[in-house]
Amino acid sequence: MLKSIIRKEILNNLFSYKFSIIIILSTILILVSIFVMYRDYCLALENYGILQPKSNEAIAIVPPTPLSIFAKGLDKNLCRSYEIGFAGQIKVGSKQESVNNLFRLFTTPDLLYIVKVILALCAMLFAFDMVSGEKEVGTLRQSLSNSVKRPILMVGKWIGGFISFVVPFFIAVLLSTILVTMSPLVQMDGENWAKLGMFLLSSVLYLAVFFSLGLLISCLTHQSSSSLVISLFLWAMLVFFIPNLGNIMARQLVEIPTVQQLEVKRSQIWIKEVFERINRGKNVREVVGSINSENDKLIADYRNRFDRLVSVSQNITRFSPAAAFTCLATDLMGTGISEERRLKTAVLQYKNLVWNLEGDLPAFAFHRSSIKEVLGFGGLANLMILILFNMLFFVSAYAAFLQYDVR
Amino acid sequence: MLSAIISRECLSNILNLRFIVGLVLCVIISVACVMILTHDYQQEMADYNLRVNLQDEFLSKYAHRNRIGGMITSQKPPERFRPLIIGIPREANLGSFDDNPLPVLFPPLDFLFIVTIIMSLLAMLFSYDAITGERQRGTLRLVISNSIPRAKILLAKFIGGTASLLIPFILSLLAGALYISINPAIQWDGSAWAEFSLLIAASVTFISLFYLLGLMVSTFSRYSSTSILTCLFLWVLLILVIPNMCPFISAQLYRIPSINKIERQVEHLLDTERDELGRKFSREVLKKFATQYGVIYSEFESLEFGGLWGRCSPENRKATQQRAAADPEFKAMVDAFREQINQAWTKANRIQREKAEKISHDRDTKVAAQNKIAKNLTCISPCANFIYVATDLTGTGLRSFDYFDWLDGEYGKMFWPYLQRKVQDAMKKDPTFETNSFLDISDRPRFVFKEEPLRDKLDAVLPYWGILVLFNVVFFVAAFAGFMRYDVR
Repeated sequence: MLKSIIRKEILNNLFSYKFSIIIILSTILILVSIFVMYRDYCLALENYGILQPKSNEAIAIVPPTPLSIFAKGLDKNLCRSYEIGFAGQIKVGSKQESVNNLFRLFTTPDLLYIVKVILALCAMLFAFDMVSGEKEVGTLRQSLSNSVKRPILMVGKWIGGFISFVVPFFIAVLLSTILVTMSPLVQMDGENWAKLGMFLLSSVLYLAVFFSLGLLISCLTHQSSSSLVISLFLWAMLVFFIPNLGNIMARQLVEIPTVQQLEVKRSQIWIKEVFERINRGKNVREVVGSINSENDKLIADYRNRFDRLVSVSQNITRFSPAAAFTCLATDLMGTGISEERRLKTAVLQYKNLVWNLEGDLPAFAFHRSSIKEVLGFGGLANLMILILFNMLFFVSAYAAFLQYDVR
Repeated sequence: MLSAIISRECLSNILNLRFIVGLVLCVIISVACVMILTHDYQQEMADYNLRVNLQDEFLSKYAHRNRIGGMITSQKPPERFRPLIIGIPREANLGSFDDNPLPVLFPPLDFLFIVTIIMSLLAMLFSYDAITGERQRGTLRLVISNSIPRAKILLAKFIGGTASLLIPFILSLLAGALYISINPAIQWDGSAWAEFSLLIAASVTFISLFYLLGLMVSTFSRYSSTSILTCLFLWVLLILVIPNMCPFISAQLYRIPSINKIERQVEHLLDTERDELGRKFSREVLKKFATQYGVIYSEFESLEFGGLWGRCSPENRKATQQRAAADPEFKAMVDAFREQINQAWTKANRIQREKAEKISHDRDTKVAAQNKIAKNLTCISPCANFIYVATDLTGTGLRSFDYFDWLDGEYGKMFWPYLQRKVQDAMKKDPTFETNSFLDISDRPRFVFKEEPLRDKLDAVLPYWGILVLFNVVFFVAAFAGFMRYDVR
């Protein structure tokens, strides 16, 4: 019986207008996005080639990861050059987009964005009328008048509906991934493939959350128009409201100086020490040492506060599956906030190693986190959150459907 | 009759679930946004005051002439519309080691979110079944069977629907405005309230546009279920896809060479290459002086040029000063040498600066071209047009950067002549005053941030606002054409 329900659900979806429009939209978007981000990756790679430091230059720079094609995250920030000055000061190179302010006003349209925002909406649109819609047309009453049990009908609907939604998504991603990885510029090793696999798995989990939520709303309402309204507004709350407002709220809970304030303080340290050298006869080594240690103190204090800000922000935004998914996906792809923190720690260590050396310098080495490290460093918690949301929404939908009045 | 249809449309919308959900959401999100952003604004303001005080305090202790330029940085206060609109998050893009990358992952939430996402979605939810729903229920046939022209019905639906749609929006705005007006930390003057009113007007243009789009789709559909899906498809394209895709597409249509590479080139021109050129010109001066002054030049050379060229011990510096004091001919040569070496370095600086400016200018031209392509492309989406209008009108958008740079330049025109005067006065008072001496500049003109005049802002936003109005007209005409041929059975 379960099989025929699944089959009916898939066939029903395949011939619907909803299916055609959602599939056309998501396929085009995925293909365009991956192509656009691939070209962007090529530009970043070209830039990296130009900026390769010479052996006597104290410059830390990491190559862009091919996984940034799928989830750009903070890769632009990560791939800037960090030049170590003679007094230990770190000069950060500009991002390629820094000159075009338009990039700052809009969001990067990578696969992560498409899954997080657009496909999550599509998942809800697939599920919002699965129960209430069938009730309206009267087929739900007919189905239940047979010997089919409600739990089986529910599970069949979920599996059938979700398969018909997620399979085209997989095909589109697979197709565009094959096209992109055929390029000699995209060098994916085994670890990268595993990370991409994990990313797709977490995307499916994330989409399942919204699918189950749509189903839950459908089971709680009796008209598909009401179900649609509630679905759309919950989507807006979970995808935009909680993650984005939570981030601003965190800033108010953690006392942290602005970057502008730090810049003012940093330039003052420099000028003060030069003044001391000229007017009070401090020697150069002493001055340079003072500048370095004062800057170190400033950075250490800021980084402590920033780490606290990140953890508070993550704790607040975890109420939304979109935030948990963003953190998990970007960390997996090596373009997340944890990677950024790791890189900055590595740059500081490199600075301590080379700032007072001359001649040939050791090259900067940095490896992006492995899957194991990502899962250990908060990734597993985010994955568990997605699973928990899934269970919560599915179990609630199941419970609501058991009591649903089909008349 | 028109008013009867309008009030009927309004009433049926108000009694609908979507109205209640929309109202509750709008009010909750607006109030939460305004409260949190106001607190953020206060923190930013405190940080701004701290920066200004830090700078003042530092200048009172360490203002030695040669480095005053590095200490006079114009500080920008947080925009007065920060409690409503964040615009471009600055923290993430300062090019500093400590950039806060969180806004890149989670773009901030503000009034723009309420209008572009919530209100546009609500507008489409109000209008997608305005025609199809009535046809399915059979009421459209009844209405048409009366002697009311179709144009009037459509107009009444538009007016009634938009009016009912604006109720939650206006209520939430009023709540936000009330919070702003009673908060002592926010001091809005007349011009700020005028900008706020214009912002509301622009928002209404944007919201009505989406209502009309939904209405248009409805007049071309037979069923509400089809209409809503088409509406959402268009909504996703216009709000979520086009504005975000266009900057990236334009970056590939019109490429800018590596910014880092250009920065390094400029740095190399103004640093290493400038020094090489300066030394080359200086050596020419040396050669010229060697032939012109002969023996006394050799003596000057043995004294390491008294510190005027290359390294020099304090003993030789002193000996040169004593020799110049005793021998007028030697003194004339030293003065001429100083003058010529200065000229050599000035020439080297000028040549290299010109080269660097050419590269920078070339880059700026290319950047402007890319920006123009991106901006023109994004204009296909009403969302981008509205964002330009809202952010530029409130001084939180792209233009605010250029305006601040202009203000900073104007301040420079006041400050640098002042500094020159101060240095001249100090040199008159104290002959030993040199580049590393302390200079009291406590009476300097201070940088004061002035809001851009409203007229200038309006001039800049009117084309984008015009596009929004045009979208309204196009959608209304299309809806009208669709409804005229609509089969009401």
